[in-house]
Amino acid sequence: MRVRRLALIGAAVLAAACVEDLSAPGVCPNYCPTAGLTIADTVLYDLSRDSSFRGYVLPHRSALLLAANVPGVVDGRAIFRINGPGTRFRINPNDTTTGLIEGADSARLRMVISRYDSALTNLTLAFYRLPKTIDSTTTFADVSGAFTDSLLRTLNIDTLLARPNRKDSVTGDSAAVDTIGHTITLFVKFDSTAARYVGADSGSVAYGIRVSADSPVSIAITSGLVSGPQFLSRYIRVDSSGVPVSRNMGLGLSAFESFVRNPPPPGIDSTLTVGGAPSARSIIRVAFPRVIRDSSQIIRATLSLVPAVAAAGVPIDSFAVEVHAVLVDLGAKSPIAIDVTHTDSTMIHIGTTDTVQVEVTNVLQAWAADSTQPTTFVLAARDEAQSFAEIRFYPTIAAAFRPALRITYVRRYPFGGR
Amino acid sequence: MSVARPLVATLLLAVYPSSRLYSQDSQFGIQGLGTPGRFESVRARSTAGAFTPFDPLSPLSEAPLADLSILTATAMSGTSYRESDFGGSTASLRSTRFPLLSAAGRVAPRLALAAGFTTYLDKSWDVTQRDSFLLRGVLQRYTDELTSDGSVADVRFVAASRLNRRIAIGGGIHLLTGSTRETAERRFDDTTFHTVQQLAEVRYSGFGVSGSILIGVAPGLSVAGWARSDSRLRAKTGDSTTALTDLPHGAGGGILFAPSPSVKFGGSVAWRSWSRSGPGAFNTWSWSGGAEFGSGRMPLRLGVRGGQMPFGPGTTAPTEFAAAAGTGRSFAQGRASIDLGVERLERRGTGLTERVWTVLVGLVVRP
Repeated sequence: MRVRRLALIGAAVLAAACVEDLSAPGVCPNYCPTAGLTIADTVLYDLSRDSSFRGYVLPHRSALLLAANVPGVVDGRAIFRINGPGTRFRINPNDTTTGLIEGADSARLRMVISRYDSALTNLTLAFYRLPKTIDSTTTFADVSGAFTDSLLRTLNIDTLLARPNRKDSVTGDSAAVDTIGHTITLFVKFDSTAARYVGADSGSVAYGIRVSADSPVSIAITSGLVSGPQFLSRYIRVDSSGVPVSRNMGLGLSAFESFVRNPPPPGIDSTLTVGGAPSARSIIRVAFPRVIRDSSQIIRATLSLVPAVAAAGVPIDSFAVEVHAVLVDLGAKSPIAIDVTHTDSTMIHIGTTDTVQVEVTNVLQAWAADSTQPTTFVLAARDEAQSFAEIRFYPTIAAAFRPALRITYVRRYPFGGR
Repeated sequence: MSVARPLVATLLLAVYPSSRLYSQDSQFGIQGLGTPGRFESVRARSTAGAFTPFDPLSPLSEAPLADLSILTATAMSGTSYRESDFGGSTASLRSTRFPLLSAAGRVAPRLALAAGFTTYLDKSWDVTQRDSFLLRGVLQRYTDELTSDGSVADVRFVAASRLNRRIAIGGGIHLLTGSTRETAERRFDDTTFHTVQQLAEVRYSGFGVSGSILIGVAPGLSVAGWARSDSRLRAKTGDSTTALTDLPHGAGGGILFAPSPSVKFGGSVAWRSWSRSGPGAFNTWSWSGGAEFGSGRMPLRLGVRGGQMPFGPGTTAPTEFAAAAGTGRSFAQGRASIDLGVERLERRGTGLTERVWTVLVGLVVRP
């Protein structure tokens, strides 16, 4: 038994002793490996076959409705349409009997301003009636007449926010402010004129929103079926056996949302255009050296782009430009890789003409990891068609200002050497 | 039989995992081929190597195997607590190694065979370094960590024969094999630069031959001599040979004086031509002297040794000096024994002093 115990104790001691700590501070060069990591830094100008294309995300597909009043830059206005119920409406909810709709009494419009400059003063929205025929082909010129003579009402947001409980008992408007999400939800009261019912239009109504302030202004209104502008309630008068009765049509969602701008987006030229609405993208192709791609580890890569035209607008229109790898190079229709390992980004600030540096290490590492990937960059706004602002960079043919790709890489460590 | 199972379990633990067959590490080996193994069993190591040329269980000399009467297996482990002193700044390191596994036995009246492996070169180290350099016009600070984890093992097949009452001879072939997992990492303080991480598995191979003789000069007085020649150590990463390094020739001898069965004195010397392996390597001499008192239940073993290390900076070889002590205990009617030892070692080289405590545990089984 003693022998057995001794053997087991010996086994336990041996097992417990299997702990290592070999890490020691290097006293170089005497007590360090003779070889070290070799880092190289190079600038590639071998970028070519670049081009720009517009129209990836159109205004009526945007997640935001834009309205802006930046003199000399852009005059943008949000437009939307809420379809009506037809000519008749149920008199009682539990009865299929309907009555002719005679007119509208009022409506309550809900909309969310999701981007605005809190430093603005006298931020005011003006609501206009637009023809119900607005659609994705509608231009600024198409509705300029309505924006001239069909003003329904105005809403000074600063004044509303300054009231107790952010509620105007006279106009019936109210607001809710989300200080975390930096949004303002507006509840706007429309009277019988603003919320009018036209039988010939089946009750459909279309509105335009123009924004103004004491200084150049640009705002974004949340778009979408659920979050976009909508009637929370719409009271109408229904004929009930010759007696008009008031009924609430309930929720009225937007059937169409978009925005128009003046001037129209500038045409694509030889520069590399990114951003704007409709959104523009640019493509740059890189001759990626095999010596770096196959035998090195890329630790930093920076794409330098010199603005030919600075992004114009107000500061809040600053936007992020993303550099994507492409799954396959099909020119303008190249599908972009959107996962973070194939995407890098930088912020574009309004008015700046400084060289834009985009860290594209992720993209180049992805190229190095998969030699079948096309070495093509696509530059796109992170949130396409969600800002009027766009930036234009010098193309590769502009020798003095052409894009450059700076790569810092590590050569293969000489493992196994003495 | 009741003893056999725990002993086998202990033996298995002692040799597991086989990929960690290392000897004692040293900073001195980082720029060289590594830290050479000691080719000693715990019993021999406890006498500081003085009895090694006469120890049948030490993988240095083959001739003593001729006197091994029955099948014998041995294994050992060593746990080292190392303090490296770099001109005032110190680092405490710890490692556990299983540097020896061997089995030997007589297959004919005049022929004994043995096989096993031991550490030839330990190549485990981990170095961190802070530095900076100018990159993209900015001074970038970084931390480098270079590591190597692995060793080169000496797999040996030997034969020994007693020619007559006075003389025994032996010879062996040695296959050098092993691998290291090496990593190189650089972390920049500026995280805009991604961390550099590279790794590789380096495989090593080589070949060697050895021979030895054991002569009984007089009753209680023996001398031994050995010689060994190794070829080249080939390092391969993937399919590419990254280094081809000449390995040393070596020779040595010893004397053992046993005035009585319970008192033994021994001494040995060895020379190895490590300078063949290239710049920064030196030929080495080493010596040792030791004694063993008592042959019964718990003998006492003592010894000191000194010599040179093969790799180091500067123009002279680093030196080492060690003192060791140990004992052993047989059980199961002598079919098994445990040897324990402790060694205090000091190595000195240009700008570096290493002080090491090593605890040794050895197991011998004679089934």
